[in-house]
Formats: sequence, structure tokens, C-alpha cells
Amino acid sequence: MANDDLLQPARRHFALSGLALGAVALLPAGAAAQAPAAPAQASGPIVLHGVSPRLTVHALDTFHGAAATGLRIDFSRLEGASYKLIRTVTANANGRSDEPLLIGESYQAGDYELLLHVDEYFSRKEAKLPTPPFLSKVPVRIKVVNIAERIHLPIQFGPWSYTYSRGS
Amino acid sequence: MTGITTHVLDITTGRPLSGLQIELYDVATDPPALLNKTRTNPDGRTDTPILPAASARTGQFELRFHVGEHFKAPDGLSDVVPVRFAIFDATQHYHVPMLCSPWFFSTYRGS
Repeated sequence: MANDDLLQPARRHFALSGLALGAVALLPAGAAAQAPAAPAQASGPIVLHGVSPRLTVHALDTFHGAAATGLRIDFSRLEGASYKLIRTVTANANGRSDEPLLIGESYQAGDYELLLHVDEYFSRKEAKLPTPPFLSKVPVRIKVVNIAERIHLPIQFGPWSYTYSRGS
Repeated sequence: MTGITTHVLDITTGRPLSGLQIELYDVATDPPALLNKTRTNPDGRTDTPILPAASARTGQFELRFHVGEHFKAPDGLSDVVPVRFAIFDATQHYHVPMLCSPWFFSTYRGS
């Protein structure tokens, strides 16, 4: 897995170099000098950076300007009318879960919830906040529609705000 | 001013998002109790505070923004965006805006 990630960019770069040379050959003389450098990635949106479809998360603490190491996240899937816990993960030193939330067979279309234990996180950091704090347990609800596409979910949060989006 | 107000902006157009369905729940009870249900006006706000000053009190609340039915993006990231927060001082005003696109959601305590 790690080896693939390391090897594939090199292969892509090799393939791209060939394409770029071919493109240059088709351009009239003089235009070649302005031709932009080929982008570093050759893969389409289906497979990004050589990784298979998966759901990944990255949590950043904007209050301290750091990865949200130690943030507890309850990851659940909507079944019927309620969210059923799949597992609880803790953000690692990089603010990510050690393993993707969903990958391979587990990456299925559906509605999911990440419940962020923001109150517990800032309490441990000894942030001075009202009681109860403005944000306690923050639910982030997303849906997976196309399992051929990877979803990366960056979440930025502080004691008074949060933002999440589809990343890459 | 006290109570809860909101403001919804569409970051893909840079305009207020009007006609969006919003609900306010009391989530201290199980199941959550619906307190108000309304739609945003052309300014992206609700005509009256979603929790009026007369009803201001401490507690755990949740706004739900029905963005999916508005954007109708097949690959949109969220259909209903919940924002769960506490009123810890009922004498303060809680303005909780939502900035959004089909793939981006941002909220904060405003003023």
C-alpha cells in the first residue's frame, strides 16, 4: 500500500512526460516556449493520488492552529430513522484517523454522521469557555453517493465555529 | 436583543439564500422538540427571530438547514445540516449564520 503510493507517482510522471513531449511536438515553433508545464497529476477525479475510493477525515483546531490530535469522533451510519455507531476514532498526531473511515467493501453509499466531541477536546486543552460551551457535540452529517469517487472531509473547528467541506 | 437569529448565504453566488427551510429544535429532550419551522426571506434571514426574545432561555438547541432540497446537487455533501449549540446566558443574543455551497458548510457565533 505505502509502496504503491510511492511508486505510482513516478509512473504517472513518466507517462506524463511522454504526453507532454508529444504535445510539444504538435505545437508550432515558438508556441512551445509558452506551453505550460504539465500538471503533476495525471489521474482523473475517480482515483486521486493513486488511492482507491474511501472516506477520510482531517480535523484541524483553528483555536490553537494545530491538528486536532486526540479529538474523539463517533462515526455512525443512518439506518432507518437513527444513526447507528460504526466505531469511534481518535484523531492522530496529524489530525486524521489512523485508517480511513470507510474503504473497500465498507465504502458504501449512504448517510453518515461524524459526531465530534468538541467539548471534551477543549476541556482537555483547558480552554476558558462558558459552561456549557457554545459547541459541545458537533454532528457533521454527510452522504456518500458515488462509491467510485473518494471523499476527503476536512473539518476546521474552534470553540465558536466550524467549517467542513469536500476536499481531495 | 436576545434569542436566536440566523442568516444564510450562498457562497457560490455571493448572495443571500432565500426560501431555505430551517427548523429550530430543543435537543435537551429526547426526542428533540420542534420549536419553530420557517423559510428564509430574500435577505437570507427569517422575518422574525427563529427563537424570539420572549422565549429566550438557556438550553441546548439545534438549527437544521435543509440545503439538499435547495441546491439539488446530485453529489452534494449534505442534505440537512444540523448546527447544535448551547445558550449558556439567556440575556445574550445568539446569531448563528450558515455560509454554504453544496460541498461547503460553515457556521459560527456571530453578532
